[in-house]
Amino acid sequence: MEPLDLFGRLHTKPDRRERRKRGGFSPLTQHAIPMTTTIANPDASRDEAGPKPSRDVAGFLGWMLSPKRRGPLLIAPAIATLFIVNVFPLMWSFGLSFFEYKANRIAAPVFKGLDNYASVLTDPDIWERFQHTATIVVGSVALQLIVGFLLALLFANDFPLRRYLLMLVLAPMMLSLSAVGVFFKLFYDPTLGFISRLISLFTADTYVILSTPARATVAIVVADAWMWSPFVMLLVLAGLVSVPKYLYEAAEIDRAGWWRRFRTITFPYIRSLLLLALLFRTIETFKIFDVVYILTEGGPGSSTETVSVYVFRLAFQFFRTSLASALGYIMLFAVIVLTSLYLYAIQTRRAEPVNE
Amino acid sequence: MNLVKTSIAAFAVAGASLGSLLAPAPASAKDIVINMAAPDWLPTRFMQEEFDRSYKSKSGNNVKLVIDFIPWGSFYQRVAASLSSGEKKYQMIVTDSQWLGDFVEGGHYLKLNKYIDTDPELQAVIADMHPVLLSTSSSYPYKSANYYGFPQFPDNLVTAFRKDLFCNPTERANFKKQFNQTLPCYYNEWEDVDWQRYENIGKFFQRKKGDKLGDGVADDDFYGIAYQMGKPYDFSSMQANGFIWEAGGDIWDETSTKPALGVVNSDKAIAAFDHYLSLEKYMPPVAKTGQMDIFVVQDLYMQGKVGAIVDWVGVMGPVINPKLSKVADKSDFAEPPGTRQADGSISRWSNIGGQPFVLTTWNNDEVIKESLDIVKWWMSKDTQIKFVKAGGQSGLLSVMNDPAYATWAPYNRAYLDNYRWQKDVWHIPEFFPLLTEQQEQFDKAITGQVSGKEALDTVAAFQDKLLREAGRIK
Repeated sequence: MEPLDLFGRLHTKPDRRERRKRGGFSPLTQHAIPMTTTIANPDASRDEAGPKPSRDVAGFLGWMLSPKRRGPLLIAPAIATLFIVNVFPLMWSFGLSFFEYKANRIAAPVFKGLDNYASVLTDPDIWERFQHTATIVVGSVALQLIVGFLLALLFANDFPLRRYLLMLVLAPMMLSLSAVGVFFKLFYDPTLGFISRLISLFTADTYVILSTPARATVAIVVADAWMWSPFVMLLVLAGLVSVPKYLYEAAEIDRAGWWRRFRTITFPYIRSLLLLALLFRTIETFKIFDVVYILTEGGPGSSTETVSVYVFRLAFQFFRTSLASALGYIMLFAVIVLTSLYLYAIQTRRAEPVNE
Repeated sequence: MNLVKTSIAAFAVAGASLGSLLAPAPASAKDIVINMAAPDWLPTRFMQEEFDRSYKSKSGNNVKLVIDFIPWGSFYQRVAASLSSGEKKYQMIVTDSQWLGDFVEGGHYLKLNKYIDTDPELQAVIADMHPVLLSTSSSYPYKSANYYGFPQFPDNLVTAFRKDLFCNPTERANFKKQFNQTLPCYYNEWEDVDWQRYENIGKFFQRKKGDKLGDGVADDDFYGIAYQMGKPYDFSSMQANGFIWEAGGDIWDETSTKPALGVVNSDKAIAAFDHYLSLEKYMPPVAKTGQMDIFVVQDLYMQGKVGAIVDWVGVMGPVINPKLSKVADKSDFAEPPGTRQADGSISRWSNIGGQPFVLTTWNNDEVIKESLDIVKWWMSKDTQIKFVKAGGQSGLLSVMNDPAYATWAPYNRAYLDNYRWQKDVWHIPEFFPLLTEQQEQFDKAITGQVSGKEALDTVAAFQDKLLREAGRIK
């Protein structure tokens, strides 16, 4: 016997084939049924008992809610928002990159073809910024992978207060980037800062961390790695906990050493996750802005100025809007290449055979 | 008869007063919101508080001033981004004087001459403004009679020093013994301080934790001197410019028609800039990072880590506030040091600070009228006196000439005396790129990556190229 609800409606679930034929359930069509009428069969009420909506409205609603249009209608607001706040500005700035234009002037843009791209690619200042970015990316991502991996190995084991410590370790990546920048700026302050003071205990004299290009770069790398190592840890930890215990038990019976167990059992499970972490963090660190801008503002001089910071300065300090757009698109191209690698890695992981 | 006349007059006055009290607000009273962009600090905070407390619109409209307080470090970028985006968010803007050229040419700032010409109150304000402020804060092109703004807060550089140390007899005797100079304690003694003596003060007051300091011992490392040496915004140029001017050099050609090469990097300018850099070794170590901006200087002083600082008078209010400053009751103020000339006099040329506030071009007539009423309220003598007594400064001669002005705050005397030595720079639309490049090169020199000469050579080349591209240097 089929169940009836308070209104006496049948709760019969049509099978999947039937639903597909009718275009699926729609809450909207159900609400169109007058709720004051106690009925045994909703379809019958629509035809006989309930007050009929006017033919025009019903026709329009019917047209709107037809299975063909329902899906597109539901996603239309999201598509429109995406277009207005993302696609349109993107296309607009792409257009601007072929013109000579300053956003702080009334003068109309003048077409310059590929001049801005040629300027960007031949400007030694910009290549210098790419080098700074590459240094920070290599240093920070390497540190994140090492620290994240070691943390994951630690947290893969059970020990007292593990859960609470795990929450604490995850906290940095939940903070806003600018907050991390401000924290570390205060930590590095040579007169009042905690880290400078700590180092000064060993160096005997005041240690000024941000005073040289090398130290300032290391300072940025440490701040960024502090924030994002927990992210790498999470990914690796997911791989570690998925390793079946019986494999380790079997290895123990075979008297396999730690290194052999790691190489033949653990690593295959985390390899693709490490690759994902590497790519994801490379993409993100390549775009690094907040921490650098707050911590050093690209200094000393321009020695830690990354491409993102330089794009900002070109656009909002020098007001070379077109040139900034061209550089922005070159950055975007680099990110697209990295993202493609990232997606390829994901597909590779999906295609991997289950290692059991 | 006199009694009757007096009674009638009294009734008339009472009736009129009662009538005005009981009269309903005009039927057409409107809610008008004036959004104003402003840097976040005491002078603008006071303006908001005082407006909320005392402002009554003459028109009967419900006028509200809403100040968007923006941190100094990102002030220009935020305002520039708003104006460039065309969002037309602000009806008024507190603007640095050098921005006038940029945003007038961009079509954002409203020229006020036609309103001033028809309004005697505004004419009186213009006539009462200090002439230096009229040219630096109000006019574009520089020193022309085209007016765009009125001083919201006029500012200049002053010295704050620890009178408990500088007036300590033992310290004074030791300084005299070591340098054969007087350790300045009184205002008139500071008037004779040049950068050379300021350097000696720096050497003299470098103390390690536990060393004797004044009548006690230093509870932490202590430094003699500090002034701005920061990369952001204009936090080194505003000090270095003064050194260069005092030495007879220049950081640009004011007519901006002659080549910058040879002017910006002249021998005099290089020597003066090297002198500015050389004092870094007596300052707190943060100077070596190129991040010792005006607020870091102020903070280090308030924390009791520095003997004497040169900073804007606009940041001195918190210095004498015991809730914020450890040295509130130990501080006194003087004119900043200068460069001694061949005749023995001291040149104290300095870059003027302060900000005018302006109206934007997209305001309708009603908003313009209400905004100008706010200008008149702020520039009225009563409001200006309240502002000065609360720690601000005035640019009105009628207020500045009040004999009591110097007594309203301990730094006011130095502020008034400094007006003989104020200059400004770059009242042209290319202001910000010029400033940004100079700041970056100065930062490289401050952090020891390049020499002073290399920095000024690069600045000169950049300035020359930029001004040629803009068609200013033919």
